[in-house]
Amino acid sequence: MLDQLLSEYFPILVFLGIAIGLCVVMILGSMIVARQKPDPEKLSAYECGFEAFDDARTRFDVRFYLVTLLFIIFDLEVAFLFPWAVSLGNIGLFGFWSMVIFLVILTIGFAYEWKKGALEWE
Amino acid sequence: MTELPVLFPAYPEIFLAIAIMALMMIGAYSKAENTLGAVSALTQVSFVVTAGLVLFVVGGATQLAMNDLFIVDQFAVYMKLLILLASLLAVTMSNGFIRREGMAKFEYPILIAFATLGMMMMVSANDLMSLYIGLELQSLSLYVMAAFQRDNSRSTEAGLKYFVLGALSSGMLLYGMSMVYGFAGSTQFNALANAFTADTGAHMGVIVGLIFMVAGLAFKISAVPFHMWTPDVYEGAPTPVTAFFAVAPKVAAMALLIRVLVGPFGGLVAEWSQVIVVLSILSMFIGSFAAIAQSNIKRLMAYSSIGHIGFALIGLAAGTEGGVEAVLIYLAIYLVMNIGTFACILNMKVGGRMVENISDLAGLSKNNPVMAMLIMVFMFSMAGIPPMAGFMSKLFVFKAAIDAGLIALTVIGAVTSVVSAFYYLRVIKVMYFDDPAEKLDSVESGAMKLILAVTGIVTATMIFYMPVVTDPAIKAASSLFGG
Amino acid sequence: MITGIVFLPLIGALIVGFFGRALGDKVSQIITTGLLMVAAAMSWFTFFDVGFGGNAYTVTVLSWVASGDFIFNWALKVDTLTAVMLIVVTTVSSVVHLYSIGYMHHDKSVPRFMAYLSFFTFAMLMLVTADNLVQMFFGWEGVGVASYLLIGFWFEKPSANAAAMKAFIVNRVGDFGFALGIFLIFVLTGSVEFDTIFAAIPAVADANFVFLGMEFNAITISCLLLFMGAMGKSAQLGLHTWLPDAMEGPTPVSALIHAATMVTAGVFMVCRLSPIFEFSEVALTVVTIVGATTAFFAATVGLTQTDIKRVIAYSTCSQLGYMFFAAGVSAYPAAMFHLTTHAFFKALLFLGAGSVIHAMSDEQNMMKMGGIRKLIPFTWAVMLIGTLAITGVPGLSGYFSKDMIIEAAYAAGSGAGGYAFWLGVIAALMTSFYSWRLMFLTFHGKPRADEKTMAHVHESPLVMTIPLAILAVGAVGFGAVFAGDFIGEGYKEFWGSSIYIAEANNIMKEAKQVPSWVVWSPFIVMVLGLVLAWVIYIKKPGSADKLAKSFSGLYAFSLNKWYFDELYDAIFVKPSFVIGRFFWKRGDEKTIDYFGPDGVAARTKDGSKLASLLQSGYVYHYAFAMLIGVVVFVTWYMLSGMSA
Repeated sequence: MLDQLLSEYFPILVFLGIAIGLCVVMILGSMIVARQKPDPEKLSAYECGFEAFDDARTRFDVRFYLVTLLFIIFDLEVAFLFPWAVSLGNIGLFGFWSMVIFLVILTIGFAYEWKKGALEWE
Repeated sequence: MTELPVLFPAYPEIFLAIAIMALMMIGAYSKAENTLGAVSALTQVSFVVTAGLVLFVVGGATQLAMNDLFIVDQFAVYMKLLILLASLLAVTMSNGFIRREGMAKFEYPILIAFATLGMMMMVSANDLMSLYIGLELQSLSLYVMAAFQRDNSRSTEAGLKYFVLGALSSGMLLYGMSMVYGFAGSTQFNALANAFTADTGAHMGVIVGLIFMVAGLAFKISAVPFHMWTPDVYEGAPTPVTAFFAVAPKVAAMALLIRVLVGPFGGLVAEWSQVIVVLSILSMFIGSFAAIAQSNIKRLMAYSSIGHIGFALIGLAAGTEGGVEAVLIYLAIYLVMNIGTFACILNMKVGGRMVENISDLAGLSKNNPVMAMLIMVFMFSMAGIPPMAGFMSKLFVFKAAIDAGLIALTVIGAVTSVVSAFYYLRVIKVMYFDDPAEKLDSVESGAMKLILAVTGIVTATMIFYMPVVTDPAIKAASSLFGG
Repeated sequence: MITGIVFLPLIGALIVGFFGRALGDKVSQIITTGLLMVAAAMSWFTFFDVGFGGNAYTVTVLSWVASGDFIFNWALKVDTLTAVMLIVVTTVSSVVHLYSIGYMHHDKSVPRFMAYLSFFTFAMLMLVTADNLVQMFFGWEGVGVASYLLIGFWFEKPSANAAAMKAFIVNRVGDFGFALGIFLIFVLTGSVEFDTIFAAIPAVADANFVFLGMEFNAITISCLLLFMGAMGKSAQLGLHTWLPDAMEGPTPVSALIHAATMVTAGVFMVCRLSPIFEFSEVALTVVTIVGATTAFFAATVGLTQTDIKRVIAYSTCSQLGYMFFAAGVSAYPAAMFHLTTHAFFKALLFLGAGSVIHAMSDEQNMMKMGGIRKLIPFTWAVMLIGTLAITGVPGLSGYFSKDMIIEAAYAAGSGAGGYAFWLGVIAALMTSFYSWRLMFLTFHGKPRADEKTMAHVHESPLVMTIPLAILAVGAVGFGAVFAGDFIGEGYKEFWGSSIYIAEANNIMKEAKQVPSWVVWSPFIVMVLGLVLAWVIYIKKPGSADKLAKSFSGLYAFSLNKWYFDELYDAIFVKPSFVIGRFFWKRGDEKTIDYFGPDGVAARTKDGSKLASLLQSGYVYHYAFAMLIGVVVFVTWYMLSGMSA
């Protein structure tokens, strides 16, 4: 029973192996092929806004969160719009109106946050 | 041109959703003085209209909607009415409190309404996906509500704890769902029910998925060991929010648990009933033992609700139609007596300041005999002392369990019920035999008085008209079992 | 009619018991006494209707128990036997109610007293109207409760409480026998209803059962068990110890319960069950011997007591012995007749004694009385009538009934009958002596009380003297008027089917044909007793002390009531205390409580502490608990799944 369960995960194991192998190949490839000329800026991780190697428990303005959350909502909305746009021909009028209703709901939310002043930094 | 899917059975939910969005716009753009009052009143009206739609327009015949994502049957109708009743009373009871405590924002009733919508979706879910959507709509609203008093550190702490742990439980639920989907190839309840029958047995993976799902739902009903958030959140959250938490989400999550276990996993009753038995025993134990040490009445009620969930789970553990029926009766009575108790707690204030220690009730029988009498009725009922309603509810679940042969579980239930009687009776002892503390203020509003009176009378006299609850519960249970 | 008689006292008791405080003393007294008088009037009507009209009947109140074969009703059976008891109970009760208005005048809980009295009367009526054994047992226990409440009426007095408990506990012994007797009768006949039982008894007369390898006659055993109940209630030798102590209660209670009614319940029961007793010669012999011995024993104790009420109490005990041995020789009508006449003159003596005590500022010791005849002439007169009646002066009630009993004992011809006859005659001598001793010590001679008390001596008010007058009339005339019907030629028509005497037994007729020395003997010993008492207490005062000194052993034996209390104390009471203490301290506190309630409560507290400790407040602890929960469940299924 347990063996059977585990054997079903064999493809994943294969996938993991390939992924690790690919990573190793890429890192090794760049070490061998590219010119190595490091400086501190280049060695730091790419991250915007915060110090990369700093205490995680520092204070920061809560408005960052608000903006992020609001951004994500509309970000995801767009993510929904792409497949919808592509398959609009198949899903017909019902599909079209469904998305319109969805957008209306989003708009109501948008109107609300606008009115509440969530979009103003000050 | 694709055909429009059936929407008719979901009309109450659709109506409520539109109403909420309209109210949100009204709230945001209204320039009126008393926006909260207007939104509250309109929310209450929408609840009533929704209830009317549930009861009279859609009715109790079993029908599917939205490509079988959504189901309406007697069970859903029964549960939705309980939820709407709880939400309506929660909004009513909150009015005074949120004004006094600086929570007077029009979002408050709207959040309750969103949570209610989520709960209605939950009880009507007929697919793992619609289940999850409903659950999250409810949960997210509740997280915000717990932290609604955002200048109060206890309230924000409660909200954060609830959110973090709630996210964990959602994760477990989703993980369990994905495993179930992986083994069954469908998320639709009917398809799942066909895939898992008692004869074929279940793959170990399905069982694991089921356990994860049960764990996720057990968090929502705060069954031990997924209960840890409950005392902290109940204590920290603003009292009317706690009152709402203690009834509506419990009822809805319980309904969901019943629907999931009896519906798609009905064939695996032998497997899940063991989990439910363990959850039930642990809940009853923690609910009765931990409560003894509490001095804060909201915390006490948290443990009390854990204990009650344990008792209700006895009925579910039986896995029979009679058992489900008993749970439904239990939930209805639980709702009434809990609303009543919290209405009393909401009136525990001295000179306009809320107090929430049991010792603040000392000598209440002399200062406010009517209130003391009401609390006594509720406490007796919670302890399950005849002839209060709480006795009948326990009687039904115990009977169902005995019929299903769960003798040991019933005995444990009876024993823990005795232990729990200790702390309920202690409240009565404090009210009637201790030296009077500061005098409590009189009851604030007519609506509150009405709620107190009605819940008190119903709790005390339910025994004379049990069929009012039992008949719909019987119908609801039989609709679940395909009767 | 009968329903009214039975339930009027109950109504009175309920009204006054629950609302007495609101109604006030006066109204309470009027309600209970009034209702009782109505009941008494109806009882006399019933008595003539049933006893002379022959209209016996049964009224069903309601169906009481229907459990399998165990079926019976709550019914009121009215026949001559019941009718006689009805007049005794309601008449004495109503005069006692009336008397109490005066006697309890100063008490602070008059309504409670009146309610108890009425409740007692109801229970007693329940007992005498019973149509089955269970109902009789109900009444039996009801009067026991009422007796307990009334003996302990002055509950501030420890001695009253002790006496109440003693009465209750000693009666439990007898009641246990009674209950077993009922069970046995039910097993034998399959019923508890009198009519059914009586019809079935001849068929099972020879039934035996084996116990401990020995064979017993079932009827005999059940009769003896039932008689054990009668012994307890009627204070027969062995179970008599409670009766003298019961005098701690108010005097009207002594008159009603411990002289006229409750204590005679045992006699009534034996007569009611005569159709059963008649089938067991052994049981009847036991009844005769116990009755005769009690008559003798109680009389000897009565000789030396100094408390006026205790003398009368022992006298009661002795007279009950007479009734029992009359029943034992199958002279049930004589027993019932003596029961009735005794009720009148004994209640009279008690109430008279109460009047004396009232006059003497609550003094009960006869040694501190004397010389008050002139001061309370009416009381003296009625006490004299009572004394003449109890000693059996010809023409008065006691003469007819007691002489009949003694003659019947002689006529029985058996060994037990002879024993009863001789003891009865000796007891009659002593009865005469101690009764006159009481009279002389109380009313005659020189005053022995202090001056203050003597100055206070006064005749009782009218509410107390009227009852005395009524009872005096009964004590004088009842015997002469009803002797012909109760025990004379017409006894068969009078009693009808309510009393059964075996066909072959002609005791009632033979008792009239005894030699004349037997007829004269009670009279002779009565005169002898009177003369002795006169010589010792009037002619030569102080000779009593000399006698007591010269017979110090016998005197102490009598004064200490044959050492029964001391004996019981050593055999039953002390060991019970030791055992009780052991079970209480060791068994209950150290074992059951320690491991039971206290232990569980302590563990519960520990459990609650532990459970609260789990609630640390840290989110990661909570999350951890959830994950542990899931892991445990999953592991459980993994393992159980693999083993499957």
